[in-house]
Amino acid sequence: MALEAYRRDMEGCSRCSSCKWVPMSQMKSHRFSQVCPSISRYHFHSFAGSGKLMLGLSLLDNRIEMNDSVADVAYKCTLCGACDANCKVYRDDIDIAEVIEEIRATCVENGQFFAEHQMMIDDLKRENNVFGEPKNARGDWAEGLGLKDANAQKVDVLFHAGCRFSYDEDLLGVIRGAATLIRDAGVDLGVAGKAESCCGGRAFGLGFRGDGKNFAEDMAVRVKSSGAKVLLTPCADCYGAFKYAYRRMGVDLGVQVMHISEYLKALAANGKINFKNRVDRKITYHDPCHLGRRSEPYAGPWEGNKLLRPASRKRDGRKGVYDAPRDLLRSIPGIRLVEMERIREYSWCCGAGGGVWEADQELSDFAARERIEEALTTGADALATSCPWCERNLRDAAESMGAGIEVLDVTELVARSIKGEVIS
Amino acid sequence: MTFPISTKTIPDEAVSRFREALGDENFSTDPVICDGYAMQPFHKTEPGCWINRPLAVTLPSSTEEVQAIVKICIQHGLRYKAHSTGWGAHGGAGYDNVVQIDLRRMNKILEWDEKNRYVVVEPYVNCAEIQAEAMKRGFNIHIHGAGSVCSPLANATSHCGMGWSGISTSTSSRNILGVEWVLPSGEVLKLGTCGSISESAGSRWFSADGPGPSMRGIMRGWAGADGGLGVFTKMSMKLFHWAGPKETAVKGRLQDLVVEKPDNFRITLCAFPDARSYADALFKVGEAEIGFLQCKNSVALMLGAMMPRMLRKIHASMNVKKILDACRHQFMFTIAATSDLDYQYQSQCLEKIVDDHGGIVLDAPAPLHSLMYWSFVRVSLPPVVFRMGGNFFSTFGGDEAFDNCMEQARIGEEIKRQFIASKACFDDLADNPWALIYENGLFGHSEELWFYDHRDPEMGRQVDDYAKACADATLEHTLGGGGFAFFKGGEVHDILGPAMSNYHIWQRRIKKALDPNDLSDSKFYISSD
Ligand SMILES: Cc1cc2nc3c(=O)[nH]c(=O)nc-3n(C[C@H](O)[C@H](O)[C@H](O)COP(=O)(O)OP(=O)(O)OC[C@H]3O[C@@H](n4cnc5c(N)ncnc54)[C@H](O)[C@@H]3O)c2cc1C
Ligand code: SF4
Ligand code: SF4
Repeated sequence: MALEAYRRDMEGCSRCSSCKWVPMSQMKSHRFSQVCPSISRYHFHSFAGSGKLMLGLSLLDNRIEMNDSVADVAYKCTLCGACDANCKVYRDDIDIAEVIEEIRATCVENGQFFAEHQMMIDDLKRENNVFGEPKNARGDWAEGLGLKDANAQKVDVLFHAGCRFSYDEDLLGVIRGAATLIRDAGVDLGVAGKAESCCGGRAFGLGFRGDGKNFAEDMAVRVKSSGAKVLLTPCADCYGAFKYAYRRMGVDLGVQVMHISEYLKALAANGKINFKNRVDRKITYHDPCHLGRRSEPYAGPWEGNKLLRPASRKRDGRKGVYDAPRDLLRSIPGIRLVEMERIREYSWCCGAGGGVWEADQELSDFAARERIEEALTTGADALATSCPWCERNLRDAAESMGAGIEVLDVTELVARSIKGEVIS
Repeated sequence: MTFPISTKTIPDEAVSRFREALGDENFSTDPVICDGYAMQPFHKTEPGCWINRPLAVTLPSSTEEVQAIVKICIQHGLRYKAHSTGWGAHGGAGYDNVVQIDLRRMNKILEWDEKNRYVVVEPYVNCAEIQAEAMKRGFNIHIHGAGSVCSPLANATSHCGMGWSGISTSTSSRNILGVEWVLPSGEVLKLGTCGSISESAGSRWFSADGPGPSMRGIMRGWAGADGGLGVFTKMSMKLFHWAGPKETAVKGRLQDLVVEKPDNFRITLCAFPDARSYADALFKVGEAEIGFLQCKNSVALMLGAMMPRMLRKIHASMNVKKILDACRHQFMFTIAATSDLDYQYQSQCLEKIVDDHGGIVLDAPAPLHSLMYWSFVRVSLPPVVFRMGGNFFSTFGGDEAFDNCMEQARIGEEIKRQFIASKACFDDLADNPWALIYENGLFGHSEELWFYDHRDPEMGRQVDDYAKACADATLEHTLGGGGFAFFKGGEVHDILGPAMSNYHIWQRRIKKALDPNDLSDSKFYISSD
């Protein structure tokens, strides 16, 4: 769908500013009331979700030219979808996040984007990952775990690690631990190793539609040939891509997609894993945007007047994955879960998404530090989350702030309870 | 529909001075940034969604910076327009040579004076933020009916002020206890608590105006100057006792809200057989000095906001229409009691009054009471009025004796029927007044809501005709001052003024005395000549 298809969405904005704040009924303090990292940092209205609708409309109406400033507004945004979810508390007929995606696609068509993003796309095309790391090293994280090679054998469950978990040395223990847990529960699990490549979600989010689709189609072929019934990922970013971006790009994976938190929860429910050991920690949980509101499945374009679109066709963020990671944490004896003020579909973004981590370090840091400050107010000694991108960014922020709060993956805590030790 | 874009530019020298005063990050003349302030469909009577694009946007962070902006504008003959949370065309550029002052960086809560019951805030603090913090201290605030992500400072200093809890908290204009005001000359004037000499707690004035003649009428009058009289940079506002808990656990966001209603709150709907008994009961309720929140949410408002698709279909069925018609004479009433005895007293008063007038009191059942409790306390519902068509408009709205408000509603209904027939708005059964009493019934408020889609050219075109028809009726039937017609600016004041003690002449004199060069954008207020 081109930007023009969203004209009514853009013209419909009532400028009520609900896209800047947590839902009014959920506002608990003056300090943590805002929900959009972009306008919180840059202040001009154009940086809000509403402002981006105006940006798109202004382009369509030829009031402004496509130039650096347009790209600046379009890309200094984590594409976290908080504006979209909060607008939809009230509106049935505005899909802000889709408009931002269309603006970005228009930027790409016109060659207006950040140099860092071009580098990332080049890396992606050359090495199949967003960091430009050697593609041959992609499967190294699984060495010695004895996981099945999904390229050579049929598997029930295909485990997709994603770029960040495949290459971030700091997070090696997390991914190895997660895969071990599933393997030990007796699941017929396989990995694609070197043949795994980026899900393509980043390319889609940046507006490089063709590249995104190539990776998505490639993924679909790999999944099919593995014979898997379930595509399992520990990465929220990839999960969001499979559930939402793929359908936006018209790619059907034809299998059940599960995030590791959902899968572990199901294993626990079936008695396949047991939380034996106490983990005496006070934990607060950060909802990754792409596991939460951004993972809500895309229901297809709505032809005609969106005012008449039934609620079931409206992606309002509530159908994301929020309970599985929390249920896991609550199942672990000794863990006390304390919530931050901005949670679930009105969660504050960690700042890593939408190409911001790559191209606008300042915004990325700003968002992460804000989240750490919020976590600290809960008195938790650790911040748990379910996405390697959030973990990376939040860990860096916590460290640079000297915040004294540990940033963990939920699976690490699960592993500690099941195995009684940290798996690495 | 596009709006002409000004070809005017800002002199280079002014640009350098703005940059110097604010820093590069907080000033822009870039059309990409400025267009972010040029789309304001609400409160706009011309078709389409674009308004004037400001020549520049400024983001001050202090009173001194606001002063600097005003002075640069004076020196270069530029108009300026401040907005706080910025909801509506009245906060945007009314002309083609306007510098927009976006106050969002001024977002501090400056002081809590619990003893004297006021809080001092900057423009960009919103009502929900203050309420959340106030409740932790056992207080509540008046929240105007636009919703709690709006700025109370903007509303109280510059635009209307009625809200759902008016029966106990009155309107915004009564809630100001002081302001800091950058006058159109660039000087700073401090009134009330913000103007008291001693900074030590307890020794400040907590009356709105302090000793001496009051400036409140000049500052905002009934409607507010909508940015036409300089810039307000601080406001001190009243704190009320809060009978609910310090913190409220809330699940969900709006229709899905689940909240535990405190036992000392009673949430009811009071329904009456006809208009007269409904109005008389309200007078009695006022006299009895009971209630925390009272409001008539019309059936059309509830359906249009919560079940817009259903409202579109209802007119197909005459029988359903008749049933809904029978439900029109009702109001919502909430008691927030401070003790068991208080609860009993208020409840019994209400029941007796309603019974005496042939009505019934319906207690909100669970889980509906979650929505009726929290979303009205927090005032989180208002933007649902956009669900029906994407936009809404409102007419009448003069604050008067409640019988006059009833007339506003009756005549509003008659006028609206004609416009529904010409497909100018959605069919809301023509019965869509939002009506309340204030200050224990001293006066009332009624406005006729109108759901429409500004993206539909035919609907967009007729808003102005509708607004004019209501303004004419206001004059012809003496329906509560000028009501919302006031916001049409100078031309309407000139029509209404002669029928109302020539107020427009005085208003113009005030404008001229304070802003002789007419630089504080007066599109929604009055020009100096
Ligand atoms: C759905 C809806 C319901 C509404 N219901 C009500 C209602 O029940 N009661 C009511 O009173 N109003 C109501 N309104 C109108 C609305 O209150 C006002 O538009 C509201 O105050 C504007 O919101 P804001 O706080 O964002 O103010 P802004 O848009 O920031 O400002 C409002 C006006 O004040 C001026 N202004 C703002 N800040 C300053 C400042 N610091 N110095 C000088 N001038 C300033 C602006 O130029 C503008 O003209 C409603 C509007 C909507 C859309
Ligand atoms: S919440 Fe939606 S309608 Fe309101 S200003 Fe934001 S984008 Fe516009
Ligand atoms: S996607 Fe996130 S960062 Fe971007 S405008 Fe919306 S809320 Fe702000």
